[in-house]
Amino acid sequence: MRPVTKKWLFLKISSLILIPLMLWFIINFVSFYDKNYQEIVKFLTSQPSKFFISLFLVIAYFFSALSISEVFEDYIDDEKIKNAAIKTLNIVAIFIPLITIIIIFNLGL
Amino acid sequence: MENNNPLSPHLQVYKWHISSLVSIATRITGIINILVITLICIWFASLLLGESNYKIINIFFQSFLGKFVAIGITWSFSFQILSEIRHLIMDLGYGFEIKTTNITGTLVIIFSFILTVLIYLLGRQFIL
Repeated sequence: MRPVTKKWLFLKISSLILIPLMLWFIINFVSFYDKNYQEIVKFLTSQPSKFFISLFLVIAYFFSALSISEVFEDYIDDEKIKNAAIKTLNIVAIFIPLITIIIIFNLGL
Repeated sequence: MENNNPLSPHLQVYKWHISSLVSIATRITGIINILVITLICIWFASLLLGESNYKIINIFFQSFLGKFVAIGITWSFSFQILSEIRHLIMDLGYGFEIKTTNITGTLVIIFSFILTVLIYLLGRQFIL
């Protein structure tokens, strides 16, 4: 399979998984955005929200890294800048969800 | 090796249509949404610092501006959900005719506002 085909497939599969997760996340965001400290910690440390938030973050950053890298490929002419931008994007897309998931799993301790 | 792939034309050369508007709005809301998710990650991280540090965020979200931002985020997510569904349907080979793309693009815009209201009412437990 060609790399571009693989990338397109990953983009579509992650999009399909992300749609229900985005719906779940935004409904819960609306319900907790103005809640107090204890209520938010309780929400984040209880199941299944802990699992779904973690899954949502991983898929959302994976999908965004793929789709933003397409924008870079479309609009950045300089190869070096383009590759640096895509590498930075990929590092950020791994680092932020990983750190946040570790934080969520340490919140209740 | 030199890359001779053509670059996409820049936004100012497009003649605006519903389909191009929806396509560009999908990219913009996609970037807004990932920035929002990143801010939410920082918000979750701030919970580790304790209750007193959390109060600033809580005061912001209880204000009129905070509620406006929350509704704006809801619309941005609603738009992206509907637009991704439209893209997935098009990936299956349906809806490529100009008339159909105009209709589905218009539906995405209209239903993004309806979905925003529904999600807000559902999240605030005004319905169900």
